[in-house]
Amino acid sequence: MKWTADLEQFPYPFKGSTYRYSNNSIPMHKPISVEVTSDYKKEMLLKRNLLTYHPERCYQSLPHTMTGQWEIVELVIDHLAAHYPNQFSVEKRNTIWIFSNKILDDKIEFVFGDEKSLPCEPLAFISHHVQEDLILMMQRDGDLYLDAGQLCFPANWSLAFNLGMKFKSIHHPIPGFKEEGLDDRILQFLMRLEAGNPWERKNWSLMAGDRLDTSLETFDQWGQLRKQVTKENAGKLVHIRVEVQKLFRLPRTNSILFTIHTHLLPLEQLAANSEWLQQFYDILSELPSHIADYKGISLYKDAVLDYLEKQLERVRAT
Amino acid sequence: MKNEAVFINGKRKYIFCGDDQGLKLLSSVMEKVNEEGLTHERFLLSDFKMSLLEDFLKSQKMGTFLYVALPSSELQQFLKAVEDIGFSDEDVQYIGYGEEKFSVFCCRCHEINTSNNEQKRLYCHRCGLELEVSDHYSAMHDAFLGYVAKL
Repeated sequence: MKWTADLEQFPYPFKGSTYRYSNNSIPMHKPISVEVTSDYKKEMLLKRNLLTYHPERCYQSLPHTMTGQWEIVELVIDHLAAHYPNQFSVEKRNTIWIFSNKILDDKIEFVFGDEKSLPCEPLAFISHHVQEDLILMMQRDGDLYLDAGQLCFPANWSLAFNLGMKFKSIHHPIPGFKEEGLDDRILQFLMRLEAGNPWERKNWSLMAGDRLDTSLETFDQWGQLRKQVTKENAGKLVHIRVEVQKLFRLPRTNSILFTIHTHLLPLEQLAANSEWLQQFYDILSELPSHIADYKGISLYKDAVLDYLEKQLERVRAT
Repeated sequence: MKNEAVFINGKRKYIFCGDDQGLKLLSSVMEKVNEEGLTHERFLLSDFKMSLLEDFLKSQKMGTFLYVALPSSELQQFLKAVEDIGFSDEDVQYIGYGEEKFSVFCCRCHEINTSNNEQKRLYCHRCGLELEVSDHYSAMHDAFLGYVAKL
């Protein structure tokens, strides 16, 4: 999936000339859980195929999550109808809802709160209408648990494995995350989230190739491209992968909706902005090896740096 | 699961259960409990006593601390039973001995494979992928994540 919109719209993730793990969440200016981009149709086709043919890796839920799932349906549908009225609408007659997705020409009538009125679980249903991955974290016993989720575009992790896991256990594989106390600080931050005050953050990595569906389950396939990166092809082959993550407290269940919108940009497009080019070169040059390893960059980091250097020379020469 | 029992102070009652070898591993903590005159009971485990043990544990009051010491390969079946009875992770210490077997979740096909301490790599018996065993653990699957061993 290539970036087709204006470059200025790309959610460029960096500040400063170095990068370290941090809680870089900020209060959301425009409190909307999902965003409809120019790639909507293309990405929805991909998502719906993944949900149909790979349900085990793309959708998981525990039985006690139904009320939270309905809260997500309500929040997302209300946001779609309010922010994209020409593309989405909802008619509510008491508990009977008629949701229209005009982009995909879908009209669904269901009874809000009644799972039997939908062909699948509520979270799975709404997942068929948004580009974002949707994760439900339920709060109990002073902790957050990943109790339901729809994940079509993961950055090399497994929803099936992580289901039911506590927040800190989910992040256990990140080097330094626990040792620096970051897992505890972020958990405390999340547990203080309030309904009506959503937050957002950006996360990034590099990847060889332009697949959105980089699941852990298929890593043996898509990971092969990491071995094919050279300084000559890095501009086209390597992409910066940015996740715009949004956090909403759901008041009824006191759980948290975590939405992840993934964007890919080939390095040659990033390099077209000379400020970004210099900044990203500085960041990648200085990036500690444990972060590069975890983000899956180490194998081709030098090739990317060579490519970026060449682009910088080109900029200096003009 | 631990290799050695640790005395936890301030409990209402202590229960030590295990087979002959397991109870030997608990002896230092039992001595400590004896010395301090704390309320305790021993329960020698053998196969036909499992239902008796469950009834015994169900009858305990809040604040009871449980030590279970058994061959590592047999401990898993007790974890779920003890949890269902109502003991939390904070109320129990599991001490395993002998060869430890654990489960490995295949990252590709989700099959649960069995491994031992020495095996850092194994082939998934369902899809054949070579897996590298990580220390990422899922309580729900009671398994460690097996990653792609080599690209």
